[in-house]
Amino acid sequence: MIAQVFILSSKGDRLVYKDFRGDIGSDAVGLFYDKVTALTGDQPPVVMTHRNVHFVHVWQGGLYLVATTIAADSSPFAIIDFLNRLAALIKDYCGALSEKTVQMNFALIYELLDEMLDYGYVQSTSCDVLKNFIQTEALSSRPFSLLDLANVGLFGADTQQSKVAPSSAATRPLQGGKSEIFVDVIERMSVVMSTSGVLMKAEVEGEVKVKCFLPSCSEIRIGLNEDLSVGGSHLAGYGAAVRVDECSFHPAVRLDDFEAHRILRISPGQGEQSVMQYRLADRLPLAPPFRLFPAIEKDAAGRLLMFFKLRCDLPPKSSAVNVSASIRVPNGCISLSQELSSPDQSAELQPQNRAVVWKVPRFPGGTQLSAVFKLDIPALSSASMMEVGPVCLTFELPKVTASGLHVRFLRLVPTQHRGPTQRWVRYVTHSDSYAIRI
Amino acid sequence: MQEWANQLCENRQFGSKMTDSKYFTTTKKGEIFELKAELNSDKKEKKKEAVKKVIASMTVGKDVSALFPDVVNCMQTDNLELKKLVYLYLMNYAKSQPDMAIMAVNTFVKDCEDPNPLIRALAVRTMGCIRVDKITEYLCEPLRKCLKDEDPYVRKTAAVCVAKLHDINAQLVEDQGFLDTLKDLISDSNPMVVANAVAALSEIAESHPNSNLLDLNPQTINKLLTALNECTEWGQIFILDCLANYTPRDDRESQSICERVTPRLSHANSAVVLSAVKVLMKFMEMLPKDLDYYGTLLKKLAPPLVTLLSAEPELQYVALRNINLIVQRRPEILKHEMKVFFVKYNDPIYVKLEKLDIMIRLASQANIAQVLAELKEYATEVDVDFVRKAVRAIGRCAIKVEQSAERCVSTLLDLIQTKVNYVVQEAIVVIKDIFRKYPNKYESVIATLCENLDSLDEPEARAAMIWIVGEYAERIDNADELLESFLEGFHDESTQVQLQLLTAIVKLFLKKPTETQELVQQVLSLATQDSDNPDLRDRGYIYWRLLSTDPVAAKEVVLAEKPLISEETDLIEPTLLEELICHIGTLASVYHKPPSAFVEGSRGVQHKRLPGSAGSGESVESPDTGSAPVASEAPPAVIPSQDLLGDLLNLDLTPTTTTGPPPPSSAMQMGAMDLLGGGLDSLPPVPLRRDTPQSPQPPHQSPSPPDYSPTELGVDLGGSPAMTAGFGAPPTAGPPSFTAPVSGGLDDLFDLGGGVGMPMGAYVPPKTLWLPAMKAKGLEISGTFGRRAGVVQMEMTLTNKAMSVMTDFAIQFNRNSFGLAPAGPLQVLTPVSPNQSIEAVLPLNTVGPVMKMEPLNNLQVAVKNNIDVFYFSCQYPISMLFVEDGKMERQVFLATWKDIPNENESKFQLNDCHLNADAASSKLQGSNIFTIAKRTVEGQDMLYQSMKLTNGIWVLAELRAQAGNPNYTVSLRCRAPEVSQCVFQSYEAVLKN
Repeated sequence: MIAQVFILSSKGDRLVYKDFRGDIGSDAVGLFYDKVTALTGDQPPVVMTHRNVHFVHVWQGGLYLVATTIAADSSPFAIIDFLNRLAALIKDYCGALSEKTVQMNFALIYELLDEMLDYGYVQSTSCDVLKNFIQTEALSSRPFSLLDLANVGLFGADTQQSKVAPSSAATRPLQGGKSEIFVDVIERMSVVMSTSGVLMKAEVEGEVKVKCFLPSCSEIRIGLNEDLSVGGSHLAGYGAAVRVDECSFHPAVRLDDFEAHRILRISPGQGEQSVMQYRLADRLPLAPPFRLFPAIEKDAAGRLLMFFKLRCDLPPKSSAVNVSASIRVPNGCISLSQELSSPDQSAELQPQNRAVVWKVPRFPGGTQLSAVFKLDIPALSSASMMEVGPVCLTFELPKVTASGLHVRFLRLVPTQHRGPTQRWVRYVTHSDSYAIRI
Repeated sequence: MQEWANQLCENRQFGSKMTDSKYFTTTKKGEIFELKAELNSDKKEKKKEAVKKVIASMTVGKDVSALFPDVVNCMQTDNLELKKLVYLYLMNYAKSQPDMAIMAVNTFVKDCEDPNPLIRALAVRTMGCIRVDKITEYLCEPLRKCLKDEDPYVRKTAAVCVAKLHDINAQLVEDQGFLDTLKDLISDSNPMVVANAVAALSEIAESHPNSNLLDLNPQTINKLLTALNECTEWGQIFILDCLANYTPRDDRESQSICERVTPRLSHANSAVVLSAVKVLMKFMEMLPKDLDYYGTLLKKLAPPLVTLLSAEPELQYVALRNINLIVQRRPEILKHEMKVFFVKYNDPIYVKLEKLDIMIRLASQANIAQVLAELKEYATEVDVDFVRKAVRAIGRCAIKVEQSAERCVSTLLDLIQTKVNYVVQEAIVVIKDIFRKYPNKYESVIATLCENLDSLDEPEARAAMIWIVGEYAERIDNADELLESFLEGFHDESTQVQLQLLTAIVKLFLKKPTETQELVQQVLSLATQDSDNPDLRDRGYIYWRLLSTDPVAAKEVVLAEKPLISEETDLIEPTLLEELICHIGTLASVYHKPPSAFVEGSRGVQHKRLPGSAGSGESVESPDTGSAPVASEAPPAVIPSQDLLGDLLNLDLTPTTTTGPPPPSSAMQMGAMDLLGGGLDSLPPVPLRRDTPQSPQPPHQSPSPPDYSPTELGVDLGGSPAMTAGFGAPPTAGPPSFTAPVSGGLDDLFDLGGGVGMPMGAYVPPKTLWLPAMKAKGLEISGTFGRRAGVVQMEMTLTNKAMSVMTDFAIQFNRNSFGLAPAGPLQVLTPVSPNQSIEAVLPLNTVGPVMKMEPLNNLQVAVKNNIDVFYFSCQYPISMLFVEDGKMERQVFLATWKDIPNENESKFQLNDCHLNADAASSKLQGSNIFTIAKRTVEGQDMLYQSMKLTNGIWVLAELRAQAGNPNYTVSLRCRAPEVSQCVFQSYEAVLKN
């Protein structure tokens, strides 16, 4: 049971404060802020306690969304989930989650909270259900501006490159506006591989998100790859069938045609929903996108020389963007000199992280880059060679899914609503944790 | 906040222009005055804006209670938005203005009749939140109507309102019969209403632990399961949490519930998944393990748990804490999922540490290579805390998986080569543990360790290094120099290091007495004369005296065999784990503490426990009464990872790692003998002397040991039969009663002692035949149990009816209801020749592993000798588990008696007992059944008695005796009613003998 919910700015100002059960005083707000700002990096921030008050919070959009409880049997999972939904709902209603939008729409947020929670019991977090009860009109924080075009991305991700969607779609409130629908396939990839290219671990977590700006829509149908197989890897055979190990669906998804035709049928409410989540491990359909060929040696002057060749194994038409390789180096590095193959790349030494960070803004598939790093390390011993590596990569792969999952079609079942409807399907793969061991 | 201020400021200026200039001053009063004016405006829009401003001020924490009447005036409106805002204000301030709040009542009552269900629900919801007593009276009628409203939205709101009202005035709710209406709502057609009713009832039931408000029976469970499929994700959580409190009648029902809950595991909301996992983990306890379904269920649990780890780091952390519990309880669920727990380089540190912990728990022979490769990678990471944990983890792997020990050691040596200070120190600490676990295997690495002596600056690492030097002093040529170098800064060291150094130097002296006299004297005087630390001083004195009076004894003490270290570390003790499993998904599972440890006050604190395992046909106690019946109060600090039954089958000389020190397994250890025992019978510690062939230099001021003579040495080297038996000497020192007497004479002595000390000794049943010679290749065992001087003992007569000599006796118990376990090895010192009988007394303790037996007092025993292993089971009188401090205070007795529900009372008839009440009382007292009060009513004597079992269960008894009537009535009350039958048997046995 949630006792209180409050939203604080990053400076600790109260923006919204609602008490549901009256068993914790309002001084909890100050207590929470003191505690959260005093946290050190290695303390789990998830649940904090003071006396018998427990604080659960999430940090989104520069705001602390906090719930307190005194009941020992409350589930932190449920509370975090609830707070995330609250954040998502505020985004859906007000266009964005920020200090400003919360201030402007506090009455609306109070109203939302009132319907979402009763006496600390979560009642509903579904946008569709709630809109029946909400009376207050949302105020959008900023008018539409062409300047926004500069910073378009997928809903969560700041992908500079993928300028595929029109402007403020992601940061726009639901009410009014054009009728549009977005289907995003977002994947996160975790890979651990050795320099010889042996995959020690490979995992892809993905989700299909729908963001719907349609005033009314009875049903949409999303067709996925027809050869998609779920679970049972023994069925996969030799073909390049697309496979996922596990998947779960939003409760509103109707799966009547899923078994036979891999079609998801949904009546999407307005707002953003994750309709399908999936995971696959170990056997990826494609080769991992990057391989590294390192050579490390000590030169006569006692410096550490690192030669790297980095190859991008994506198909030639695609490319990776914002690639950044962080190379762990031994303790006590004083300086770095580097030779890179093109001027748009950069490299710097970050002594506090014991790392050399090599950045490549754009990396087309099928190409190869090389770099030489020379490091001055006064106390270089043979043992410190052991401290080199791993190399951790972060990147984005626009228009690529690591699992091979694709949306074959996106069909809207027509309703009374007339007028053109824009349909968008987007793909992106992010690196979650991509490490190459040396 | 600046924005708010600006806004308010603008308004103020605006207002000031319109009104009199005297409000131009920027006082608070002015602000409020303006708001007042706006609130009373005729225009709706303006009113609404004003209320919004009021609420804005309220949020920031300003006191706007002065506006109460004006805001309440706005309540009478048909604008729902405005109404909601006003209600928001009301909820906040009604408590501070109870009289004013009454003004609002009429509107509430009227709103509850409104044709619009939204308004009806809103009114009911708000009224419940106004925690003012006066209002509650008016609330009853509207609430009653709303509970029966035609609209489910209103009904679900009304259901929650009952819980609110109950919190304010519980009596009122009961009197008005709302609880019954609420119970009816469980059968409502709308799942949301059902969910809220369940949530409300659960909460109300929590404040009345003994009421059966939420009467869970198969019918209601069925309804809940049906609603489960239809309601929202949040409602599913309420229902699943409620289901988790239910205890199914049998494994069939348990299975059918599991089957219906399993689909929840694929839900997108992770809180639903975790609640479902909780239900399944609990009900699984009841399923027989050989059932196909059990295996299916185990398989089904893995994927959802893995999926939980794809969430944000915060959720991952919560999931990992829960998985940590699940892995400890049922490692088989995730045993193939090791890879998921591999650390990602960009995980936050708190997630990394949790994953590491789980990795170690899942490590097994099958995956150890993979795990070690990972750990080695982690050990070169940047984050110091994580690296340290990773190095420790390598050590834990070595100890857990024996096959990997060698690779672990070589990995650790590689890491030491890096010379990274904290890595080296951690590695040395864990290598010490590896040495202890696998003695005489890896000592070759000592030289490498010694190279790093200078870089150690942490007490734990220094202490570990000193321990290693002392322990292996005979192999390290310059051990004295090394230790001497530590001695220089003795007083600057931490206590841990000082103690280790003292012990290490004494060890060194005992091993190389000639060269180290000076050193030992130096350390002893440092410890005893120059130190303020009592621990250090006392240890110093003990060594000093030992060395000066009896160097042989000193060796036995200082160089004694050390108890094995257990395989698993950081395990949560089993009873706590069981309780935590019942709290999966809740805060308790994140803190790894039971709710009682972090919730103040009694509210909501209940000890939950898992239902009994499959096959125990007995009804299981409902989860909300007191302590667990079979769980022992003082469970073992570590539990053996392997199944004890397996142990019994492969019985060897090594007892499980849990209890006490191990029996000797190498020549060195045979000398490790009980100090006192050593004084009595002269079993000389041969091998020790073999280790130090030159005669031990008598230390300063000490006479040479009296029992040292060359002839004896010669004899001993030749080997005495007792030594070859190999099992002879008890490895630890203990009180005399533990060093089991071999002869019957000593046994008698004990009896005598008991007779003098107490008016009447504890009842010891006569010996019965446990193992007939027919079944045990000639070994006959008869025996009994008794409690003598507070120690539970197993007294056995072993008779050899075979033709050959029997030696090498050892004994083990299977898990049992009260955790009975041998407190030491079975001591049969001499071989038993054909037709010889020998008495053996085995002291027992109650810290062994616990498993409920049927009957409760059943004990399965395995006895081994040089011929074979034999199994038998016997029943012990429960009276031997009654502890000496079982006398309850009168007041406590009275309160407890009342507190224990009536259904837990059992009545028994005791026939043909020709004792009067007083005689019975004193007889029972001998068996630790204490009489607390005696009452005589109309010629009937009533004795009130209490006793406490070793695991902390109290049993309360009422004994009725009619003068002249040989039949007694015994009524027993206990929170764990299962024990009653056994307790009564003890009554019968004690009183009739």
